[in-house]
Amino acid sequence: MKRLSFAALALGLLASTAAHADVTVYSAGPGALIKNLAAGFTEKTGIKANVFQATTGKVMARLEAEASNPVADVVVSASWGTATDFAAKDLLLSYESPNAETVPDFLKMDGAVAQGVAGLIIAWNTESGTPKPTDWSDLAKPEYKDLVTLPDPAASGGTYTLVEALIASDKTDVLQGLKDNGAIVAGANKAALNPVLQGAKAAVFAGVDYITMSAAAKGETIEAIFPESGTVVAPRPIMILKSSQNQDDAKKFIDYVLSEEGQQAVAKVNLMPSRTDIKVDRPLIGDLKLLSNEGAPAREDVLASFKAIFN
Amino acid sequence: MARGVVATGAEGSATLKWIATIGLLLVVAIPCLFIVVQAIFPEFGSGSFAAPFSMFFKTLADLDLFSLAGNTLLLGVGTVVCAGILAVPLAALRALFRVPGALIWDALLLIPFMLPPYIAALGWIMTLQPRGYLEQLTDIHLAPLLFSVTGIMLIMGLNTFSVIYFVLSRTFETIGARYSDVGRVFGAGQWRSFWRITLPLSMPGLAASLLLVFAMSIEEYGTPAALGRRIGFEVLVTGIENRISEWPIDLPGSATLSLVLVSMALVAFMLQRWLLTRRDYRIVGGKPQAFDKKELGVWALPVSLLFAFIAFLATGLPILAILATALSRTISGGLAPSNLGLDHFKELLGAGSDGLVALGNSLVLGSTTALLAGLLGAITAYSVVKGRGRFRIVLDALSITPNSLPGVVVAVGIILAWNQPWLPITPYNTPFILLLAYICILLPQPVRYATASLHQLGDNLEAAARVCGSGPLKAFVRIIFPLILPSMVTAMILVFAVASRELVASLLVAPVGFQTIAVFIWQQFDQGSAGLGMAMAFCAVLITTLIPLALISLLRWASKGSVAGLR
Repeated sequence: MKRLSFAALALGLLASTAAHADVTVYSAGPGALIKNLAAGFTEKTGIKANVFQATTGKVMARLEAEASNPVADVVVSASWGTATDFAAKDLLLSYESPNAETVPDFLKMDGAVAQGVAGLIIAWNTESGTPKPTDWSDLAKPEYKDLVTLPDPAASGGTYTLVEALIASDKTDVLQGLKDNGAIVAGANKAALNPVLQGAKAAVFAGVDYITMSAAAKGETIEAIFPESGTVVAPRPIMILKSSQNQDDAKKFIDYVLSEEGQQAVAKVNLMPSRTDIKVDRPLIGDLKLLSNEGAPAREDVLASFKAIFN
Repeated sequence: MARGVVATGAEGSATLKWIATIGLLLVVAIPCLFIVVQAIFPEFGSGSFAAPFSMFFKTLADLDLFSLAGNTLLLGVGTVVCAGILAVPLAALRALFRVPGALIWDALLLIPFMLPPYIAALGWIMTLQPRGYLEQLTDIHLAPLLFSVTGIMLIMGLNTFSVIYFVLSRTFETIGARYSDVGRVFGAGQWRSFWRITLPLSMPGLAASLLLVFAMSIEEYGTPAALGRRIGFEVLVTGIENRISEWPIDLPGSATLSLVLVSMALVAFMLQRWLLTRRDYRIVGGKPQAFDKKELGVWALPVSLLFAFIAFLATGLPILAILATALSRTISGGLAPSNLGLDHFKELLGAGSDGLVALGNSLVLGSTTALLAGLLGAITAYSVVKGRGRFRIVLDALSITPNSLPGVVVAVGIILAWNQPWLPITPYNTPFILLLAYICILLPQPVRYATASLHQLGDNLEAAARVCGSGPLKAFVRIIFPLILPSMVTAMILVFAVASRELVASLLVAPVGFQTIAVFIWQQFDQGSAGLGMAMAFCAVLITTLIPLALISLLRWASKGSVAGLR
């Protein structure tokens, strides 16, 4: 038993030291997407892609702790802010993929391009016995008293973007209405969705579209509703670290993610592809009414205003 | 320190002392050192020593710190009280009387160790929240109790009380009815002899296990995170975790908060030491002891019902909730028969599933961790209890430190330490790094268990071996080790169970592309496949319970009862 364990560990050690010439990708979820992308990339190019998958926060924490000796070549995050932050710290390799031509300008910057885009929605349980909401402000109505959850903007990049837009367009009364209606702040996206699935709550304010659509596809009685007054999108940047020892293969990985095949894999998990010429059966960026984030205050101030309402 | 310490007759072995020192330096001291350095030098992650203390005082001056520390203390004490109330009566009954089906209750009460706390918390939420499983079955829900500070304490008490139960029932048993029988002969009543003799003599076991529960509960992340966040109840460990897992990352802040948490645990540790060194608790003197348990008589039924009720709350209910979710095709479908099926289990156990690989990885890592941590723990405890000199307190303090370090901080310390560019060879990014992390996090358990049993071991046994010509090392291997083996087996089972389901550190330091049970479960939840995650949790609990049980039966059979405590 003991010898067997050591043998297995030694094998693992050999396997991972042999892997150093491959592309190492640190990716925020969804896990199925990065798994498919890595497999497809290897099949197409013969280059192995090693994946570390976690939340954006965990990926960032690992990158920060490894900063003196970086391991990752490519990073996929779920928050555009991480890309602008990395660019400001001069950590990113500038690369414009030939496949990024049809990606709209607001989804790319020097050193990063969107892998896909998530939209913010109301996730509503169709069996909850409540009327179907059509706009954010509906959830502050008495029908939804004590029946709404929302993810914490500190933990969910998507919710943060929405709160930021609401503050920028001076619509914080919606948030105050939610608070007065007994809405609870429940951790990250999944923690907010779970009570709605079981029926303890009726709707998530600021749910994430692809998570909700995937749950509905599995047979959960849940619907993703794009609010009438408009919403925000959360582009998911993919970037190459300047410190990468394997930049050519890393560029090939970006090319693959932005290829027709890679973008179809993105669409398969119900995210919006960032290329506009990929046709998918779901509302795309062009179909959405978007709220502006123009003139929003700094991150700490946004979180402080949110905390001032929900506390 | 010196006052009240019982003079020991043994000197301890120099070889063992050095093994313990080097082992602890490598496994515990190095990551801790890097955390302290990170707290002081905010840019240390990028290899710079710029702006020392700039973040340190900012974090300490934060008003939030007081409420975080206060909540942590409240939760720790509350959990210890809940766990103590549940465990002490059960342990006393189990040790001093013939409880019907005692081995079955032991097996059932072992399961809370195998339950990942965040899974158990999720099980409780899905059972007690409005329209949860309880309401679907009985039309009542207990959401107000569940989402409250009392609720968190109760659930954490249920998760941890078996630590006290197992240590204490063993200790009560070692004391046996013998010492209290002496009291009875001199005219004390049954209660009086329990309160005046059995309970005081079991102080080492009780203090050690209460401390362990306190340290476990102030370090615990899953339950406060799942339940506390909704009611705005934040503790230090959730504050630390948030600083690490919510962008922008604040490594210096979380390192500083960890130092606060560690100092709290060290105070508890000093308290326990003070309790232990005030008196002499040696009760194993080499004379044969009779293990006569009393009959319960008419109390057999009520006692069985008490065991059944607590075992159901601690084990049955969370397991049933996990099973219900694993069997439900969709969560919104509820417990309707049409919604139930084995789909998730088929997906998990199907060919080419990542789940099976993760399961294998965790079992290998868990058993290796148990063996190595058990050995290092026994050697450390021996060097501390039977050795001499000032280094003992350093070793002892080092061995308890990880208990109060949140897993995520240990993970950061390990990355900082082992990913330095100048290291010629490093375990980082190989499965060995997980082994290092697990041993670091879990070392306090075998050390505590071994310390408690060594405190009860008279020196005359070892002295006799030395007189008969054996060296200190041989005396340890032939005399001491077999005598503390029963406690060590319990501790190693605990280490195995926790290591094979450890989540927070694994998530951060797992080598690229390497999955463990907990990482797999967590990723399933993250994908929204709660059912598949719960199916994995159920299989993992089953396996991590059955392997130790099989091991214990095997040991009992092999030793034919000659090793005390394994009966």
